[in-house]
Amino acid sequence: MRSIDIHAHVTPQSYISAMKENRVWHSLQPEPLDMEPQLEWTPDQRIQDMNSLGVDVQVASTGAQFYNYGRDADVIAAMHRECNDEVHQMTIDHPDRFKGLAQIPMQDVDKAIAELDRCVNQLGMVGAMIDDKVNGKTFDEPEFLPLWKAAEQMGAVFLIHQGGGTLVGPRSGNYHLPNTIGNLVDRAVTFASFVMGGVMDACPDLKICLAHGGGYTCYGVGRMDRSWDVGRLPQIPQPPSAYLNRFYYDCLTHSESALRMLIDMAGIDRVVFGTDWPFDMQIDWPVSWVLGLKSLTQDEKEAILYKNLEKLLGIEDLA
Amino acid sequence: MRSIDIHAHSTPQCFQRAVLAGNDWHGMTSADGELFNPRNAWTPEQRIADMNSLGVDIQVVSTSPGFYQYDKDVAVTTAIARDSNDEIRQMTMDYPDRLAGLAIIPMQDAAAAVAELDRAVNQLGLKGAMIGDQVNGKTFDEPEFFPVWKAAEQMGALIFIHQGGQTIGAERQPRYHVRNTVGNPSDRAVTFAAFTFGGIMDKCPDLKVILAHGGGYACFGIGRMDRGWQVRSEARVNINRPPSEYLGRFYYDCLTHSEPALRMLIDYVGIERVVLGTDWPADLRIDWPVSWVMGLASLTLEEKEAILWKNLENMLGL
Repeated sequence: MRSIDIHAHVTPQSYISAMKENRVWHSLQPEPLDMEPQLEWTPDQRIQDMNSLGVDVQVASTGAQFYNYGRDADVIAAMHRECNDEVHQMTIDHPDRFKGLAQIPMQDVDKAIAELDRCVNQLGMVGAMIDDKVNGKTFDEPEFLPLWKAAEQMGAVFLIHQGGGTLVGPRSGNYHLPNTIGNLVDRAVTFASFVMGGVMDACPDLKICLAHGGGYTCYGVGRMDRSWDVGRLPQIPQPPSAYLNRFYYDCLTHSESALRMLIDMAGIDRVVFGTDWPFDMQIDWPVSWVLGLKSLTQDEKEAILYKNLEKLLGIEDLA
Repeated sequence: MRSIDIHAHSTPQCFQRAVLAGNDWHGMTSADGELFNPRNAWTPEQRIADMNSLGVDIQVVSTSPGFYQYDKDVAVTTAIARDSNDEIRQMTMDYPDRLAGLAIIPMQDAAAAVAELDRAVNQLGLKGAMIGDQVNGKTFDEPEFFPVWKAAEQMGALIFIHQGGQTIGAERQPRYHVRNTVGNPSDRAVTFAAFTFGGIMDKCPDLKVILAHGGGYACFGIGRMDRGWQVRSEARVNINRPPSEYLGRFYYDCLTHSEPALRMLIDYVGIERVVLGTDWPADLRIDWPVSWVMGLASLTLEEKEAILWKNLENMLGL
């Protein structure tokens, strides 16, 4: 069975070298590296691990710690170019094993569009990974609309993935809850922002993949619908649930019944394979996990593991 | 079919009389109490007429969360709670076969909260208390709240969890009512986690906690909490079992606004743990709650009976 993983991270070797050599790297001060050992692996070591996991293709994204939307836009645009060039090199060296998602400087929409354009149209990347918020702003803010329009025109995919603190942190920093609950709250708020802010109506061909199974979105959409029913969302022509199948979702639910509900509510053509390699919250044996799910048909497993992403990313030719 | 609603609110008449006469009421004014909703002004007689039309036999009435007022001086909050609880008590005396009550208690001071809970349960005959998901930013795993849980356990009092004040999500997205539609269920998931990961449910084996709004995202999101427990030592400081094993220790109202969500909740927590809750008279209530439950194709008749009245009858001794 083929498999293509939309949710797999990279730490740039140029960053690792700078830190080890005690050098400033695009305004980041040198500090001791504190990260998963796999993130220091070479592409060849990464491919060995992919082989052991049964993952054919990783759509690699530079990790969320490199968003840096709070820093100077020119400095971070340069940082992101270096990140993206490195991911691009992986895809050139191993074209049948890697595709790439870009980093783009969201604090400056013009610069974000320029880098997305370079990555998609010059480097052959498939889109960009971005945070749930940009310096406190959500994606319904009008300043971001040119980016969505540009991405729509390019056919670029956005993978939405939190960075920095989530919404749960201010309430509780205990028990890993900022991750285990916070990531999923962040994603539901991002779904709501795109839908209720009218972005999905304004951009009918925009391709957005919500990481972590879209968080609490599908389970919680009934309450969002109720607020539409009672007239609290006059700006959108349909209830929020009608927009569920406008998004893509990775399968990273850590729960078979949650994944089943996601498929039933969003549609099997909207759920893709995502593992969060190589973090501790990843799916340990992701291909085996999907193949072993009793409540999914073989056709559904194939759709998730590779068919949907082949189609979405236009990479049928990699097979 | 009998029906008992655990999630139904009241805006105290004593508050309304004072603020509509232009006076303040323990520092609260007509800007409080959601008086824009006409149902909040209804008398108990009007409430019961509406219950009749909805097919609801008994409401377990709670004073609205706007009256928590945990950030005020504890003497003020206690006075608000006492007046509110006395009024709920009077409603239950006037209509003993139609109305039961939940107290509000001054959670910013555990000793004062225990005292008012004791008065409400043991003198006024209320069934327990409704409290927020947080008290001035503190979650319920904080040791200062522990005496409340122990006292409630001893009294057999219910603790009904319902957000008040700012929810999770509101600071980032203030538009589109997201503070309610995403915020309420997010708050509830964190409260489930605070009680569970904080070790409260192990230390208080007989504590009865009901999570409003179907427990929010607790059951759907439990897989990621379990994964966090498996790989992160900080998630295991107080508990030796994964959080999913605690789902069946809580009660949940059925206010999911989604049949598949309610079905998943039942499958995760057990049918004996899900009870009728409607959020009367808020706009995000279930419009025809008994009809809605009765019409759910994925539930058996026994499951509908358990939710509509049997579980609460057992729990409350009604």
